[in-house]
Amino acid sequence: MTTTPQPRHGPTMQVYVMVWIGLVCIVGAEVLLAYAHLRTGVLLACLLALALVEAGVGLLFFMHLKYERARLAWWLIPVLLFVFLLMDHLWPDAFRLAAMRGP
Amino acid sequence: MAESVMTAHAAGEESPFGIQSKKLAIWLFIAADSATFGAILFAYGFLRVGAADWSRPFAFLPSILNGIVMTVVLLTSSLTMLAAVAAAQRGDTAKTVRWMGITALLGATFAALHLREWFNMFHEGWSPSKNPLGGSAQFGATFFGITGLHLLHVTCGVLAILVIALLVRRGKLTAGHVETTGLYWHFVDLVWMFVFPLVYLMNAR
Repeated sequence: MTTTPQPRHGPTMQVYVMVWIGLVCIVGAEVLLAYAHLRTGVLLACLLALALVEAGVGLLFFMHLKYERARLAWWLIPVLLFVFLLMDHLWPDAFRLAAMRGP
Repeated sequence: MAESVMTAHAAGEESPFGIQSKKLAIWLFIAADSATFGAILFAYGFLRVGAADWSRPFAFLPSILNGIVMTVVLLTSSLTMLAAVAAAQRGDTAKTVRWMGITALLGATFAALHLREWFNMFHEGWSPSKNPLGGSAQFGATFFGITGLHLLHVTCGVLAILVIALLVRRGKLTAGHVETTGLYWHFVDLVWMFVFPLVYLMNAR
C-alpha cells in the first residue's frame, strides 16, 4: 500500500460511533414495535419507515454519500426510487389473490 | 485518487462525479444489487399478502434474540470497516490490516449465527419446500431465498475483505481499494436493515 497519507474527507470516528449507537437504538425500537400488538399494516409501515431511516443514515454517513458531490446522489437515488415504484404495481394483484380467498 | 485525477487531466476533463472510477463502478453495482434485493423483498411481500395461511414461526427465544445479535454484529462490522478505511487514508498499513481482519471476523460470526439459525430450522423440519407448522410452504422458499442471498453476499464480502487486506499488507493496493471494499460491506449491512424487520420481526410470535 502507498505510505503517502491521502486527504480524508468525511466524518470523524466519534461521529461514526454516534451513528452506530443511533442505528442500534433504531433496531431496539423495531423489536419493541414488533411486540407492541400493532395491526399488521401499521407494524409494516412503522418497520419500513425505520428501515428507510437506517438506510438513509447509513448511506449518508457510513457510505459517505453526504460528503460526495451531490450529483452522485441525484444520479443514483431517483433511478432506484423509480425502479421500486415500478415494482409497486404488483400489489393490486396480491390483494386480488387475498380477496379471492374470501372471508 | 491520484491516478484517476492524472488520467482525467490527461484526457483533458475532470470526472463528473469527482470520484475514482472503481468507486463509481461499486456504486453502479450497489444500485443494481439494490434492485435485486428490492425485487426479492417485493416478491416476498406479494406471496405473503396472497397466501392464505402464512406462518409466524419466530419466537423471541432463540430466533429474534439471535437476529438482534446478528444485527448488532453486522452494524459493528461496519464501524470496524470505517476504522480500516480511516487507517488506510492515514497510510497506516498495520492498523488497516488489523481493522479489516476484525471486520472479516465479525462477518464470519454473523454467517455462523445465521447458519446456526438455519440448522435449527432444518432440525424442526423446515426446508425451502416444507412447512412443519402446516401453513404455506412458500414461507420456507422466501425465507431461505432471501436470507440465503444475503448470506452469499456476506460470505463474498468476508472473502473479499481478507483478500484485499492481504494485498494491502503486501503493498499492492491503495486506500481507494479499501474504501471501495468498505462501500460493498456497508451495502450488505444496509440490506440486512430491511431483511431483519421484514423477514424476522414481521413473523415474530
